[in-house]
Amino acid sequence: MSAANGNGAVAEKETLDNPPQVIKVNIKRRENLDSQQYTETFEIPYRRNLNIISVLMDIRKHPVTADGKETTPPVWDMNCLEQVCGICTMVINGRVRQSCSALVDDILIESGGNTIDLQPMTKFPNVRDLKVDRNPMFDHLKKVHAWIELDGSYDLGPGPKTSQEVQSERYAYSRCMTCGCCLEACPQYHDDNYIGPQAIAQVRLFNMHPTGKNTRDDRLEALMDDDGIANCGNSQNCVQVCPMGLPLTRAIYETNREVTVHGLFGWLRK
Amino acid sequence: MAIKMSRTFLLRKLHQLTGIVPLGLFFFVHMFTNSKAMNGEEIFNKAVADIHYLPFLLFIEIFGIFIPLLFHSVYGIFISAESRSNVLSYGYGRNWLYFFQRATGVFLFVFLLFHLLHFRWGLFGSFGLTDVAVAGNADKAFAIVAADFQTVWVLVFYILGIAATAWHLGYGLFLFAVDWGLVIGEKAQKFALYTSAAVAIGLFAVGTNAAFSFVRPCGLLPQVLCEDASKTKVVETREF
Repeated sequence: MSAANGNGAVAEKETLDNPPQVIKVNIKRRENLDSQQYTETFEIPYRRNLNIISVLMDIRKHPVTADGKETTPPVWDMNCLEQVCGICTMVINGRVRQSCSALVDDILIESGGNTIDLQPMTKFPNVRDLKVDRNPMFDHLKKVHAWIELDGSYDLGPGPKTSQEVQSERYAYSRCMTCGCCLEACPQYHDDNYIGPQAIAQVRLFNMHPTGKNTRDDRLEALMDDDGIANCGNSQNCVQVCPMGLPLTRAIYETNREVTVHGLFGWLRK
Repeated sequence: MAIKMSRTFLLRKLHQLTGIVPLGLFFFVHMFTNSKAMNGEEIFNKAVADIHYLPFLLFIEIFGIFIPLLFHSVYGIFISAESRSNVLSYGYGRNWLYFFQRATGVFLFVFLLFHLLHFRWGLFGSFGLTDVAVAGNADKAFAIVAADFQTVWVLVFYILGIAATAWHLGYGLFLFAVDWGLVIGEKAQKFALYTSAAVAIGLFAVGTNAAFSFVRPCGLLPQVLCEDASKTKVVETREF
């Protein structure tokens, strides 16, 4: 994303003044789901405007490790190359983010060296090298009924009007690209024990929709399951690492309120 | 239609609630009672005796303290064991708070076990500490604590215990507020966090001062603040 200041002018991009001749890249690799993980180090010449994807492409052109061993080209996922699809997410120098928007100059300025560590996200099944299977997140969306029932036997006509406030809050949640950063950085999420911020934000998105409200309780009750919202430990890493800037803690706490009222005090309405 | 609720959901909500009521409430009362030691032995022993003569004391002790404490601490250890803390990779402030909530919790499990065996049941005689329990011996209460607080490691351990409890309860108030959906937005979160910090600092200050009152009259505060005690005592003596 371009950083624009108040006058609409784009801020100057920071670049390395004295870039290194070569960049060392440590990649955690794995043959397939069941095999052991190992690290291979590659060296590629530095050039201007590299991002992690172009680093990986350079390695792929000439897949030889730093100590001269020929190897297979590393495998990774990519698609949009503009940080809206989320598929190229990986852990770069210990921090989860999209590799397309991770610029080498920024990373080296931050680390002060010439080494970059790449590893796949650790919380999802590691299919091969830097590629993971993000299906658990789509299962979470199915579980919480993250859609709106629209189809009827006749034209339902336009939906009810929503206020500008609701629209802008829903828009924020709609920006989720299911990349997995929030789950990767969440200290509570492991072994798929917790449905996570991503699904909770989508519950909020569809519960705020006038038609979606009709199935509100189904979504809330899905979140009261053993892997539900109560597993949140409030470390708030999710909102810090979210590349799309979703107000994830707001989504969790709004839903906490709804779940408390519905789950704990619901019987008092009978 | 019946509302579906899982065991985890109910246990977490119960864990969050017991931390505030009764345990948090009890800690406030506890530190307040301890502070009566500022005014000397007689006042403090009287306060202990007053507790001994509370109606339904056994009932309050079992259902108001022991059972909630047992549940909160055992389930808390279980929650801590589930955590995969990553503060070294993601060193955000709130992530550290998340880590410290678990760290203080585990420390408090050890500390409270010691504290109960020590003052409630007097089982640390073989460690050079008083082997008489404070509970049931109101007339000796001040003397027992004062004697054991002469040992430096005991006093230090208790001050660490008070600090950990103040921290755990203070941040626990914030956690309760967000987990029950009382506090939602970022501004409100910030406000709740500052309030929690103020409560924690206040509790730590009051608790530490109370602990030092067993070593030095009026604790860490200037003794002028406690001078009135001698006058009050005269009034309390019944001569009519």
